[in-house]
Formats: sequence, C-alpha cells, structure tokens
Amino acid sequence: MSEQQTYEPRIVAFLCKWCSSAGSDLAGVSRIQYPANATPITVPCTGAISPMYILSAFNKGADGVLVSGCHIGDCHYIEGNYLARRKMHLIMQLIEFIGVEPNRFRMSWVSAAEGGKFAQVITDFVNDLKPLGPQEKLKKAERA
Amino acid sequence: MIDIKDIRDTARDMLTKGEARAVIGYRRGSRGMLAEPAFITNLEQADELVWDPTCFHNLSLYLVEDRKFLAHLRKTANAPIAIVAKGCDARSIVVLMQEHYFKREDVYIIGVSCEGTGVVDERKLAPLLNGAHATSAAFDGDDFVFTTAEGEKRLPAREVMADRCLECRNPFPKEHNAVFGEDKTGRQLAEPFAALTRFEAQGNSARWDIWSRHFDRCIRCFACRSVCPMCYCDECVVDSISFPVTAETTAEDKANRIRWIERSAVRSENITYLMTRAMHLAGRCTDCGECERACPVNVPIRLLNNKMEREAREKFGYEPGASIGGSSLVASFLDSDPGDFIR
Repeated sequence: MSEQQTYEPRIVAFLCKWCSSAGSDLAGVSRIQYPANATPITVPCTGAISPMYILSAFNKGADGVLVSGCHIGDCHYIEGNYLARRKMHLIMQLIEFIGVEPNRFRMSWVSAAEGGKFAQVITDFVNDLKPLGPQEKLKKAERA
Repeated sequence: MIDIKDIRDTARDMLTKGEARAVIGYRRGSRGMLAEPAFITNLEQADELVWDPTCFHNLSLYLVEDRKFLAHLRKTANAPIAIVAKGCDARSIVVLMQEHYFKREDVYIIGVSCEGTGVVDERKLAPLLNGAHATSAAFDGDDFVFTTAEGEKRLPAREVMADRCLECRNPFPKEHNAVFGEDKTGRQLAEPFAALTRFEAQGNSARWDIWSRHFDRCIRCFACRSVCPMCYCDECVVDSISFPVTAETTAEDKANRIRWIERSAVRSENITYLMTRAMHLAGRCTDCGECERACPVNVPIRLLNNKMEREAREKFGYEPGASIGGSSLVASFLDSDPGDFIR
C-alpha cells in the first residue's frame, strides 16, 4: 500500500461538556460507525476555548481541529457559544490568511441528542482531510 | 498647520498650574532627523518639544509604563499626565481606558491632527534621498521638507508616508482635552486596508510561501511586544521567562508550568507567537504600526493585525478605540454574527 492510502488524519476535537460530548457518547452507545481519527477533549464550554488551544493543537501535530458545542440558544452558560462563534470566526480567518488550508479547521453545533450528526461531522471531516495530507505547516519540527 | 508653539505653550501651562505632573511628547533625537519620546517635567524642557513627520512613536506606551512604575512603588498619581497623541495614539489610549487600565482623569490628551498627511516611512524615504542623510523633516501642506547636507529636498508626502497613514481613516484624535490642527477625517489618500487587499488577492499557497519566509526570519526578539501599548501583561502566555518566580516557587512548579510554545526561534514557534499576538490584539489594535516599524527583520506584522481589524469591522461592526464605555470585541456578541461557517 502506498503512503497516501495508509494516511489517517489526526483530529483534535474540542467538545463541550454539555452537548457535543454527550452527543459523541450517544453516537457510541447507539453503535453508529464512524472513523476513529478524532481525539476528544472535553471542555466546559466552547466559550472557554482559547484560540491558543487551536494553534497549540496544530503546533503539536494535529492534522485537523474540530470545535463542537451546543446549538445557538442552548448554551448551558447562556452565551458561551455566542462568544465562541466570534472567536472561532477570527481564528479561522487568521489561519486561512497565512495560507493554511481552511478545511483543517471546523466548527459544528452538535446537541446531546444528535449522535448521528456527530458521526456525520467526523466522517465528513476525515473525508475532507484525507486529500490534504499531513499538516506540516504549523507543526513543530522533530528534534534531531 | 500645527504651530509647535501651541503645543509648547500648552505643556508649559499644564506644568505651571500643576495640572500635569509630566508631559509626554516628542523632541529632536540624537540621530539624524528622527524625533524621540520626551518626558517633560520642568518648564525649560517644554521648549524642546517638536512636531514633525518623524514623530511616529505611539506614546501611549509610556502611560502604561508609568502606571506599572507607580504600581511598583505602591504610589498613586497626584496629577494626570499630559500626552501628545495623534489619531491612532488617541485611539490606543481609549482602548486602554476601555480596559480600565487607567481612568480618563488620569490623562490629559493633547491631540495633534495629522491633517492631510501622516508620518514618514524611513524605508520609503531612503531611496529617494539618493544616499543623502536627512537632518530634519518638516510638514508643509501636502509635502514633507527634508534638510540634507546637499540642501533642502521637498517630496510629496504621499510618496514617503507610512502605509498605515495613507490608509488611515481617522487622522484626527476624537478623544482629547486640547487639540491642534484641522480635522481632516474622511480624507482619502489610499483605500482603507489597501495593502491587505493587495496581499489577500493572492492564492492560498502563494500566501503561505510568503508568510513561511517571514516566519522563518523572525528572531523572536519581542520588539513588537515591547513597543505595543496593548501588550501590557506582566506575564506573557507565549514567553515562559516572563512567568513570575518567587522564593516559594519550587523547581517542580517551574518544571510543570504550561509552556504553550518553545522559546527557540524556529518557524512553527514563531507562527504560534505571531498568531497568538494577532488574536490578542483583535479589536484592540488601533493600527499605529509600531510593531512593524520596530521589527528588525521586516516581518509585515501589520498585515496580521489589519486582517483582524477588517474582520471585526466588516463582520461584527466593531471599531477599536471608538468609545471608552463600549464592550470589547471578544467579550460581546450580536445575534447577527456570521455563523454560516459552522456545520
């Protein structure tokens, strides 16, 4: 098999504790099949995600970063996802601006009842990341 | 035209009446034509104040320094500080007040309007002087007049002005206690964000080619951070050396601190540093352009900040430094914020 065929992108998924984390759990208990490329990191709220988390994930070798939280209006902390929407828009624009493929960053709203949607988001993301190949632009160089 | 006598008189007046404990302005520097920041505390020094096209420093930086200094001495200010501020500098001061760094009554803003021009960009000027060394610079209508050993050289301001001044939308300091010079808000020397638009017209991979070269070159001297009035944090998240060490800090504490990025000046770390800085300045940067001027390796830092400024303006209707009481860009939201990128 060639390198391209065996390449599996590594996704760092920041999931909010109240919705997307529960959504991913639902996908699991419902036995929905989806790629195992995502490493979930549960955060209290999408609004708590500093843009630095995203830069840091890319810096440490993530091929894609997913941020997922409650639908607008459903935030446990009332307005956390509104604040996240702004910050994530800015960081997405900045990443694209310096010439990183925009498809490497993704944001989605997945509620606790949307196990199917979560599986779909991950599947789509993996499919979009595969043609891009490994992310080398922001990745820290290995020490010699 | 601004008469320098007005600025000097105001400074003298403030100091005589005891209404200011110091005046921060510009005076003639020791190197060629360039002005340098001046801290005036007695009346005779007031005559040293100048106002010319080389007054590019954003003096609001020294308001931050002053506050840090007072905090260190555990003292409170007995009178405000007067400061000479251009349009962009005055906006910086507004942002600092918006963030409660100091109060409005702690500062007396002597506004100076850039009128139809702005400050000079040395990199643009150098080739036009054919190697001659300018010893002074002066405003004259839409021209700058430089004195060199070979005599006077008159150049249209547009040819030697800094890009940020050409693109400036507010050359007039709106927030002020006293103001000199005509309000020429709305002058159109260049399209706002012209340099950014030119850069963005290139494709994704072309942009990466250019940026990767810039990021490779960065030596992480932190000059951009030092010169920025908005970079006032005592602990900088991207610089582990700035984390405080006290007698109680154990070796284990030090070892276990989060190091978001390494201190080595390699590309990946430089990217994370510059991008983090751009994010931290989103909605706060007033485009004074000092970071780019201070950069010893010519990284176009201003483009990153400009990108954030334009996003904030176009997508969120946010203008940095517009009002002291307003909420900040990333601590507020609107129902109409774009969300179509979210799946």
